[in-house]
Parts: sequence; structure tokens; C-alpha cells
Amino acid sequence: MSISDIFNVKSVVIVGASRERGKVGNVVLRNVKRNFRGDIFAVHPSADDIEGVKCFRSVEEIPEKIDLAVISLPAGKTMDAVRSLASRGCRFCIPIAGGFGEQGEEGKSMEREMRRIAEESGMRIIGPNTVGVIIPRLGLNTALTTEEKSEFPVDGKVGFISQSGALGLLTMDEFTDMGVGFSAFFSLGNEADVDESDVMDAFLNDGRTKSIALYLERISRVHSFLNKSREISRIKGVVAMKGGRTESGSRATSLHTGSIMKTSFSLTSIFRQYGIIEANNEVELIDFASALALSKPVSGRRVAVVTSAGGVGVIATDLLEKSAFQVNPPSESLRSRIKRDISPIGSPSNPVDMTAEATDQQYETVINDISDSGEYDAILAFVLFQTFGVTEGVIDFLARYVKEGKIPIVVGTIGGRYSRDMTRKLLLAGVPTYPSIQRAVSSLSALAERGRFLRRYGNGN
Amino acid sequence: MVTELEFKESLELEGFILPRRFLLESEEDFLGKFPVVVKVNSEKIIHKSEAGAVVTDVKNREELREVISRLKQKFPGEILYGEEMQPRGIEVMIGLMNDATFGKIMLFGLGGFYAELLKDVTFKRIPVDSYDVEDMIDELKFSAIFRGYRNLSASRSVISKLLLKVSNYAEKVEFSQIDLNPVFLYENSYVIVDAKKFQ
Repeated sequence: MSISDIFNVKSVVIVGASRERGKVGNVVLRNVKRNFRGDIFAVHPSADDIEGVKCFRSVEEIPEKIDLAVISLPAGKTMDAVRSLASRGCRFCIPIAGGFGEQGEEGKSMEREMRRIAEESGMRIIGPNTVGVIIPRLGLNTALTTEEKSEFPVDGKVGFISQSGALGLLTMDEFTDMGVGFSAFFSLGNEADVDESDVMDAFLNDGRTKSIALYLERISRVHSFLNKSREISRIKGVVAMKGGRTESGSRATSLHTGSIMKTSFSLTSIFRQYGIIEANNEVELIDFASALALSKPVSGRRVAVVTSAGGVGVIATDLLEKSAFQVNPPSESLRSRIKRDISPIGSPSNPVDMTAEATDQQYETVINDISDSGEYDAILAFVLFQTFGVTEGVIDFLARYVKEGKIPIVVGTIGGRYSRDMTRKLLLAGVPTYPSIQRAVSSLSALAERGRFLRRYGNGN
Repeated sequence: MVTELEFKESLELEGFILPRRFLLESEEDFLGKFPVVVKVNSEKIIHKSEAGAVVTDVKNREELREVISRLKQKFPGEILYGEEMQPRGIEVMIGLMNDATFGKIMLFGLGGFYAELLKDVTFKRIPVDSYDVEDMIDELKFSAIFRGYRNLSASRSVISKLLLKVSNYAEKVEFSQIDLNPVFLYENSYVIVDAKKFQ
């Protein structure tokens, strides 16, 4: 069965629910209950009701259809629950417990049994040894996060797949706070059944997902994964961070190639071959995915920088040129148009420095002038909210420009609480925004890399 | 097991450019231009230079006679062959590996004296297309060398045609590992100076 149906889950059962606060079976129950908009049931040997959720003695006794089950039982008891859920016609099952394949041969054979059950019954199993899934549009969160310590993710366009549950959740927490929305998060655990290729298919078919971020420690089916990535990349951006050294499967021999493969093999250029944009760390992973989700790809290397602080423009130019972008001066006619827009003490070249006299209106006219000129492939605008004449009002224009503008824009901000608040508002309004010069430039590079891939292999849209 | 000699001949049949080669019973068998490199075609010796099974820069027929008689004594029963020494070019290496996890992989990297230190290499899965080979050139940190360095240069079209040809070859043959190392690149041509195959 396709994983896509998980986006339509209407009922959730917690098997192994607990009355005791702090226990996994209780935290998960309360987490699901907090935001989930469908029906919730629990399985407990004696309780009738836990945290206001109706309990049944066994999976068999639940009269309703079960779309998704979370099993919070120890490894030993998990297998029985998996079997009864499969025979009850449950569609998705998430065994949380560790203690399977990562512990040795016995655990591995339990995982093989899980896969067999999944194949026979059609029930898809995510895990074991997983924090499960978060699907904001359903209000569904099976992870062990607590309300006090992390915010429920905002529904958005980035589909996130992680082979580390914890790193995935930490990253989600960070970027949720920043203002990035997620279409869904999948922690894959030991991948007894569902693997990254399955979830990529689901994200490909999901209309809300516009880009895919992957944290990978291993690739389960290399050939299928790479070919799938290449196909998906023609439609949606794919960003991957690969953890751990990638071992080639071959034994080194006395030949030179073998010994180089052993010491220096890297997936970087193979990722590029298949349209996957590589991220070096968790910040780049979501930064790039967010850029690809919110912005059109950049189709060339000519960038216009717009700023209200000269120094920011200088450093941005340096970093852009290091990333093989060109920060060329505008033509005479564009220059004179920009000159009319901005303060007489400003600089109408590239970077355009509107100085501390910059206003919302100036950002709007300068950005439109640059966009209409046809002289650039992208705009990097530093919208510095500390500038006296720059207000929250500029967000409306930028959001409109992202939708209707001729060339892509990436926005950079720098600053403290107020600025961060504006960054969040910009992101929630759909404007690709980064709270640092470097992050803005790197994300622009990701957009340019995608532009290059699409020029080669795209469908022309 | 394919011997080095057979492998080199098979590459020539595929249309790759290698140095002119002559089997040597005596010094009279070499009909090419001096200087010549004399090699022992043995499967037993893996690191030929270290074992003294390669003698480079043999300048004339007299030297060649001495070298042949010395090698015959040292490696009795083995076949000897001589190859014309090639003019200096930009040294690169091309490798192929049939990897258990990733399948057939092509490696392209800088060769020469500092190669092991610089480790300037890039990898692609077979098959590659014309965009991939352009990327392979640009992905090397020292790709500027191809545009010209100390009177040596190599055109992009020579490199990309060669890489595509190697990819096509890799698709149709079976191998565990192949080294084309070194390959000399010139402005309008290339030569595969040495080649080894591990079945």
C-alpha cells in the first residue's frame, strides 16, 4: 500500500497507553490528543479511560476502523501487537520501541517478521525504533515531544525525512520557531518496512509538499533511491545531508582506483548527478529545502544585492563571488532609474545601498526596477528592520513579489528579537528569508544549483 | 584473468589511444621511436616499478639489448614488451570500479607526483551523460590546470569525449576495477599511458 494514505488518517490508536504521567505510553497519548483532529482510542489491560481517551482491553475489541496505530510497548510485546493490528486491517503501524535490529540477530529476525507481516497484510510499518511521524495538517504528532518544550510545527511545504529521530525533532523545533512550515516529518527508525524511497514517493504525490529534506545515515535501496531522486528533482527540490562516512561496498584491491575509493569516496558529485542538492549540516538542510519550497529556481549567476547597510552589501558581494555568482553593475538606464528611487546619498550601483534613509516604498520600487530590467537572474535583498523607515508593511510587498515577480528573490535579515519576529512573519508569508548573510547566499546557491539541473533535465516548467 | 598486455590490446580494439607497443624477444623487435619503456607482462608482479619490472627511458638499441637480457634473467619465462615513451601531458587518472553498494562508478582525478597528497578526485555512477562529464571536470579543485599550465593544456572537449567513451565502455564490459593511470592529456588528444584491469 502506498504511504500517501497516511495524509488522510482519521483514527489513531495508542497500543500500550499508560496512566502514569511521564511514561512513554502516556506522553505519546497526550501528544496525539493535543492536536489530532480525528478519533483517538487506546489499548490498556484495565483502564476504561486515560486522559479522556476511551480505552479497550485489546486491539480486537476496538469496534471502529483503525487507520494508524502507535505501539508504545517494549520490543518483546511489540510483535504480538503488530500481528493483531495487521489482522484487524490497520493501515499504518508505528512501533516506537528500540531493541530490535540494532541489538542483534534476534531483533533482526523480528524485523524480518515485521516486513513479512507488512507484505502479507498491506499494513505499512514505520520503524521500529522511531519517534514516528508529525503531520501538521492532521494535527498528528506521535513523537515524545512535550508541549512545554517544543512548539507544534506549522503546516507548510517542506517534507522532512530523517534517519535520526532526535536530530530530526531538534531541527524541526529550531526551524518551526524560525517560521518554516513542514508538510510532514517521518522518522524512519530501523526501516523494517517503510524506507526513504517509499516516503519520497508519498511526498512526490502530495500536493502540499514542494521540497524534500533528507537526513540519511544509510541508503536502503541505492539504485531505486537515486533514480527516484532524479525523477522527483524534475518536479520538486530534493536536499540531502548524508551522515557518517559513506563506505563503498567494495574491498580495496591493489589497484589505485580501489584504494582511492576506500579513502576518498564521496557522494557529493553522485548526488549532483541525480539532482540531489547536498547540505553539509542541519541548518543548510532546512535552509535549502525551504528556499526550494518557497522560491522559483534561479536560472543564472547574475545577482543584484539590495541593502540599507553598506557593510552588509560588501560582505554579501564577497560571499556571492566566492560562490561563483556575478555581482555586476547595472546598465546606465537602470542605474539612473534606481538613483531616482533612493536617497541622494545612497549608491545606485550593485549592491544598491539605500542607506539608513531606506523605506518600505524604496525597497518596493528598487526591487521592481531591478526585476523589470532583465539584467539580473536573482535579487538578494537585505531587509534590515532596524532601519528607521523599514516597517512590517514591507512584508506584504515581498510576499506579493515572491508570487508575481519576474526573478527569484531571497531575503536576508540580521538582528535580535524584533528582527527574528519579522523573519518569522516573512517566512510564514512565503518569503524565503534567512537571518544571516552567509545563509542567504548559500540558499541562493541551492536555488541556482536547482536551476541548472532543471535547465538540463527539466520538463520546461 | 586478463594480462596487462591483453587488456591494453582490448582497449585499442575499442578505439582508445595507447602508446605503440612491441613484444620483445630481442632488441631488434622494437620498431618504434626511442626512448622506450620496457615492461614485464606478469600477473604475479603487482607493483611493477618497485619490483624492477619496468625500465623507463631506454634511449637506444644497445641499451635495449642490455635491459632485455637483464629482465630475462630476473623474470625467466615472462613476456617482455616495449612502449614508446609519450611526450609529457597533463597527468590525470580515470578509474572504474564495480562497487557492491553503488554499482559501476567512474573516478576522474588529477595524477602525477602530488596526486596522492591532493586527492583531487570526483566520482559518478555509470552511465554518465555529457552534462555529468562537464561537471566532473569542474568538480576538480585544480581544474584550472586544463586551461593551461607551464606550456601544457588540455581542451575540455578532449576530456569530455574521453570520459564519455570510458563510460560507454564500462557499460558493456564486466570488471571489478580498472585503472587508466596515468592518462596524458594534450590540447587536441590524449594517450592512456598505462592501464590495468582487475577482473
